[in-house]
Amino acid sequence: MREPNAIDFWRGFALVTIFINHIPGNVFERYTFSQYGISDAAELFVFLAGWSIGLATRGRDGAPEPRLTTVLRLLSRTVEVYRAQITIMALALAMIAGCALYLDNPLILEWHNAGGFFADPIQTMVGVVLLTHQLGFFNILPLYVVLIAIAPAVVLIGRVSRVLLLALSLSLYGASLVFEWNFPSWPGEGDWFFDPLCWQLLLVLGFLSNEATRESERLRRLWQRLMPLGIVVVAVGVVLAVLELRPDPMLAPEPRLVFTFDKTYLSPARLIHFCGMVLAFQGVYALIAPHVGRLARFLSGLGRNSLAVFSMGSLLSLAGQFVRFQTGGGIFIDISVVGSGLIALGFTAWFVEWRSRRPRPTRKAPDAASSADSPSSSRSA
Amino acid sequence: MPAASTPLPSPAAEALDQSLSPECRVPGSKLYTLARLKAVKAALKEKRPIRVLSIGSSSAGLGASASYPVKLENALEQALPDVQVEVEARGLPGEVASGAGERLRSMVAEMEPDLVVWQVGTNDALARVGIEAFGEALDESVQWVKSHGIDIVLIDPVFTESLADDAYYTQMVRTVQEVARREAVPLVHRYAAMRFLSTQRTTEAHMLGRHFRLNDLGLRCMAEHATRAITLSLLQPEAAKDAGKADAGKTDAVKTDHATSGTAKTDPAQTGTSSTGPTPAPKQP
Repeated sequence: MREPNAIDFWRGFALVTIFINHIPGNVFERYTFSQYGISDAAELFVFLAGWSIGLATRGRDGAPEPRLTTVLRLLSRTVEVYRAQITIMALALAMIAGCALYLDNPLILEWHNAGGFFADPIQTMVGVVLLTHQLGFFNILPLYVVLIAIAPAVVLIGRVSRVLLLALSLSLYGASLVFEWNFPSWPGEGDWFFDPLCWQLLLVLGFLSNEATRESERLRRLWQRLMPLGIVVVAVGVVLAVLELRPDPMLAPEPRLVFTFDKTYLSPARLIHFCGMVLAFQGVYALIAPHVGRLARFLSGLGRNSLAVFSMGSLLSLAGQFVRFQTGGGIFIDISVVGSGLIALGFTAWFVEWRSRRPRPTRKAPDAASSADSPSSSRSA
Repeated sequence: MPAASTPLPSPAAEALDQSLSPECRVPGSKLYTLARLKAVKAALKEKRPIRVLSIGSSSAGLGASASYPVKLENALEQALPDVQVEVEARGLPGEVASGAGERLRSMVAEMEPDLVVWQVGTNDALARVGIEAFGEALDESVQWVKSHGIDIVLIDPVFTESLADDAYYTQMVRTVQEVARREAVPLVHRYAAMRFLSTQRTTEAHMLGRHFRLNDLGLRCMAEHATRAITLSLLQPEAAKDAGKADAGKTDAVKTDHATSGTAKTDPAQTGTSSTGPTPAPKQP
């Protein structure tokens, strides 16, 4: 088990933010950073995923691991993320249906895109498995599946040439913005909520940031010097968010997505704002960690087990929505829902690590060189 | 309390709208309020296809022929012979009060339709967002659509027995009605229509009670009801009061429309004037 560190900490922070933001209307929502900027926790999550891929595909000494190992590791991770998405979709749909039956309330069947499944299960079941039917709030993992699936290419190209990787990634991003390329939804019309063709850029940026700062002291110092710039960007973001100033997409010139604040296509404004956030907050963990030991341990624990925590968080936030709906909400309910949710997330992280620590009866000879038997819990993205 | 929280009073003996399928028949006053649809009319005059963007919980635009958007398209083409109607459908996850309005704008900008049919309120009701925040955000979004010369029809949320006495929910439905009236846009009273249908002892009304299914009927009726509201709204006169249809002149929306006649642009003075409607029900604790 890793010691608490900045990456796990911020990842845990992103997970908690996503959990709270996925119970819309709750009191704590307005205290999350997503309300005070152009980008939000989704960007942070994907960027750190890229960063972690860089860590996971190197040995303890920092040397790149063999190519085949990298491909297999990321392939195995793709399977895990896909499995998680299918599992939480099945559970979420059952929760929605069960809740509608129990409360005798068909309104619940129309919950964020679920209506399609219940009105048209034959097509939609296929769509669920193909990841082309996504429920609202359950659309990050489909993106993550695609990103981890292409991650072997990212890592291997990055080992050949980082400039080439960045150029390829930027070209794909730019073309997707201009031509509005996206993965289609099916059987519903429309596109994916998170366009993997655009969001891959953040994964690549996370990966490259880790690779580059690992080796270059000069780059690290340059980043630190750019911190004031980051603070300016963050301040502008706060002003724009609080005053709700954003371009009107009907008035934006072509190519429209370059100018609007679009989440699906990760429009440049969101990207710039996020980079500003990274610059502004890069040193914060080192600053606060000694003073908030417990918080750092808690959030790092969540971050270490991000997939399990994210999955549980998705289901818990759905359950929280139902509780709020049925009880009518209110401060007391919100405190209970969010509080018990955070405790449950903490337990999830602890439980996953307890399971992986437990000696297994049929265990083969321990292989000290790699931790390939438990890529999920310890090292992988 | 249930009677007080009913969005519309129920005139006992109004005739059912015979243009609808027997199982979807509802009196006109329960079904819609009308207002003019300029952009669609313009498209009709230019004899070009009408582009409709259907948005909302049942609007995922399913591939099956049974889906609501396909039904809407069929019903519209039936009601408007010789007119080609292209319905694009999108689900809209998220709450109007927090961000869904922004997504709606992106969708509208992407498609530039003549008409938006927006089934609204479900997600906000499920999240129990503040009624006022919802009303304001909805009003803003409707104004935005109108300000770009695009017509919009609202559909209020579904009726369900279990929420018939829920003051918050009925207030939500009423807020959609108020916004429609304030902005002079047609409204499909899905809530009132389903409430009415649930009292008819037809064999298929079971979907609204216990052991419901989200079945064909509810969605087909909604498509028919939306179509009826759209076609009747198209018959609204430009400025004169004498309507072609007998039932067209009855509604509040029409009166509002005449009062503000000719101004398609949004009136900033109207923004935020909340609760002009009937006695607001108390908020649920």
